Amino acid sequence: MTAILRTEKLRVEYRSREMRQATKVALAGLDLEVGAGEVFGFLGPNGAGKTTTMNVLLGFVPPTSGAAYLFGIDVRQPIARQRIGYLPELTYYYKFLTAEELLRFYAKIFGLPRAETEHRIDQLLKLVELEHARKRPIKSYSKGMQQRVGLAQALINNPDLLVLDEPTSGLDPLGRMKVREIIQRLKNEGKTVFFSSHELGEVESVCDRVAIIHQGELKAIGRVSEITGHHANLEQAFLEIIGFQTSTAP
Amino acid sequence: MNNIFAVAGVVIKELYRRKDFYVLFIVTILICLVMASVNIFNDAKIVRYLKEICLLLVWLSSLVIAITTTARQIPAERENRTLLPLLAKPLTRSQLIIGKFLGCWVACGLTLLCFYLFFGALSASREHQWPLLNYFQAATLHWFMLGIIVAMTLLGSLVFAAPSSNSTILFVIIGGILFVGRHLDQVALTLREPVRTIVYSIYFAIPHLELFDVRDLIIHNWPLIPWLYFSLALLYAVGYLAVFLTGACLVFRRKTVN
Amino acid sequence: MNSPRTFFLLLVALLVSCFGLAAHLEPQFQAWPGSRAKGDIFNVVLGDSRRLFANQFYVKADEYYHSGYYPTMFDDNAAFQTTHMAADTGAVNDKNHGDEHGFLGPTRNWIDAFGRHFFPDRHTHLDAGGPDDDLSGSDNVREILPWLKLSADLDPDNVQTYTVTAYWLRERMNNAAEADAVLHEGLRNCPDSYDILFELGRLYYESYHDPNRARNVWELGVRKWQKIYPTLDPEAQKDNRLIMEQLATHLAKLEEDAGNLPRAVEWFQAAQKVSLTPTLIQDQINRLKFKLGQELNPVLKPLY
Repeated sequence: MTAILRTEKLRVEYRSREMRQATKVALAGLDLEVGAGEVFGFLGPNGAGKTTTMNVLLGFVPPTSGAAYLFGIDVRQPIARQRIGYLPELTYYYKFLTAEELLRFYAKIFGLPRAETEHRIDQLLKLVELEHARKRPIKSYSKGMQQRVGLAQALINNPDLLVLDEPTSGLDPLGRMKVREIIQRLKNEGKTVFFSSHELGEVESVCDRVAIIHQGELKAIGRVSEITGHHANLEQAFLEIIGFQTSTAP
Repeated sequence: MNNIFAVAGVVIKELYRRKDFYVLFIVTILICLVMASVNIFNDAKIVRYLKEICLLLVWLSSLVIAITTTARQIPAERENRTLLPLLAKPLTRSQLIIGKFLGCWVACGLTLLCFYLFFGALSASREHQWPLLNYFQAATLHWFMLGIIVAMTLLGSLVFAAPSSNSTILFVIIGGILFVGRHLDQVALTLREPVRTIVYSIYFAIPHLELFDVRDLIIHNWPLIPWLYFSLALLYAVGYLAVFLTGACLVFRRKTVN
Repeated sequence: MNSPRTFFLLLVALLVSCFGLAAHLEPQFQAWPGSRAKGDIFNVVLGDSRRLFANQFYVKADEYYHSGYYPTMFDDNAAFQTTHMAADTGAVNDKNHGDEHGFLGPTRNWIDAFGRHFFPDRHTHLDAGGPDDDLSGSDNVREILPWLKLSADLDPDNVQTYTVTAYWLRERMNNAAEADAVLHEGLRNCPDSYDILFELGRLYYESYHDPNRARNVWELGVRKWQKIYPTLDPEAQKDNRLIMEQLATHLAKLEEDAGNLPRAVEWFQAAQKVSLTPTLIQDQINRLKFKLGQELNPVLKPLY
């Protein structure tokens, strides 16, 4: 299996602002591989290092040591991001632009030809059901509409790898279903999806493999069935792996 | 280059969709028209005071637009979190900085074009002449000066925490250079060492923005600036804006964006 | 104080007491000499600082007279102590010395040398051609008028603003009517000003060709000068001798033109008492006396 996404002993340390406190280790030597065509779930409690991992993969934060690669290219090179799409957790876009203008702007950065750009914009706005609002400025959109614009911009370049940071956060059940459908559709097209989420039920239903990270360390990686093992569901397995004991435990 | 032009295009769209330019332009027109309606000894040919007031308003407005538009570019992107989806694209940080600079500078150029067209119409209404080459020189020098200011402000926006503090500091610095920049060497002569050396160093290090202020030549109908010196002044401006842009790119490269 | 009624009554009581206090204080405020509420908008908004602005605009007018070529506070301004637009009227003491063409001095470094191509670099006067050396455009001196008008509005007590404005209106703009209006406004604000009366007399004599009115006004100026001059301090007296000389010599010329030579001689003698060049005036007196002598005795040959 060709590794679309790969990290090698990825370590990220942040210098603490407090004089007496040591540096904070956000990632402690992460080794990760995601193959082509996989839907990969990246799980962990708050502060585990999920967002830090994504920040390194997207070039926002340089690693302290180790390396990360996308399509075999070091993530520090902008060309590594030519074939990816990214949907951040909190979606904010230029409020003075319309959805159409925003997509056209991002398409230009990807270097898409004009004819293809217009075709993709029509396709994507139809997919995310924003055709009726394409000429309205984004500042007039509801939160759900902004989330859908975010999804559209993540798909503008027809990416081979989609990186989603908590894609269903803040969405109603209908919105969450839409996102699941899109992920499934991308999988059927042979795309790779790498996403983090707290909705373990959804992860269980769409992911091929998952990784669980806790306090900057990789705790488990494998197929959903392997991780779940003898537990009733993924949630129980997750809690055990991160070392959480319920108050109702015998 | 496509990336740079794409970023610049968004900046220009932002400028003409915000109210700042229209407000300043209308205020300038209103003040000039009121001043033009004043009866001065029943002589309708008096025009230089009007040119001076108009050019002063043009300069003030252009400085406000240049500094406030540029000062909020990167901080607004960070605050609104639009920086993340942008940098997740195949766009280098240097391309982003240069794109922002180009957008702000071209936007300033477009506003200057509107202002100078109005100025030309106003002065032609009384003087019945239109010294196009003189206006071209003045407007071009003014635009290149704004390029230096935009580059300085962009660097400042990466160094200072808030757009307001960046804008205030830049206004003070630019005001200082325009008023006393030319005379700093004379001031240095009156001081003792080591302050004298420090002031001399500042005199040679700062961009002499007052070179680009040729309002007196326009107001009082002086002949054209020799084209050689005009071109050298533009090169001088390009040199300084390259320095500030390089600084901005280097600083931004090291910044964490999330 | 929980009851809204109590609160309302307290509010009404406060309003009534404020109104009563205002009514009581208003007459005192109106009578107070420092009140800025009366007077024009500049007085109300700026107070006494309007004189600073007036002075700035007066200097601005001189800057316009030089088409922008003017010293800053960092340059050598010894040759600009008296504004040239006033000195050229001939009616003020010229305190200038030094080089008016080269106040910038030699170039100090490459930045200074380069920068001199981007601002006015030559000494010119608007009435002498300006930057284009175009004498046909000598009425461009009109461009100094807005700043003089503004200066006069801001500081109505500055006599020189009126006399300079009127001079250029009359001399270059051929606008005697406006000059007349300016001088009359000056007299309303400065009723004892002999400078304004002198300039008014010039207007009547040179523009309106009305010697009788000119005589009346100049003689009034002389009377005012004689009344005010003894009350001035020695420094002010030195500055005020020229105007008396001007009044007296102009009256002398007027009387000479009218054929009243004895009266002309008297006026020249009055001028001689205050003049810094009494020998030149003596020549005029001698000339008139000879003329008088010729009339009485036609046999005498002229000395010159």
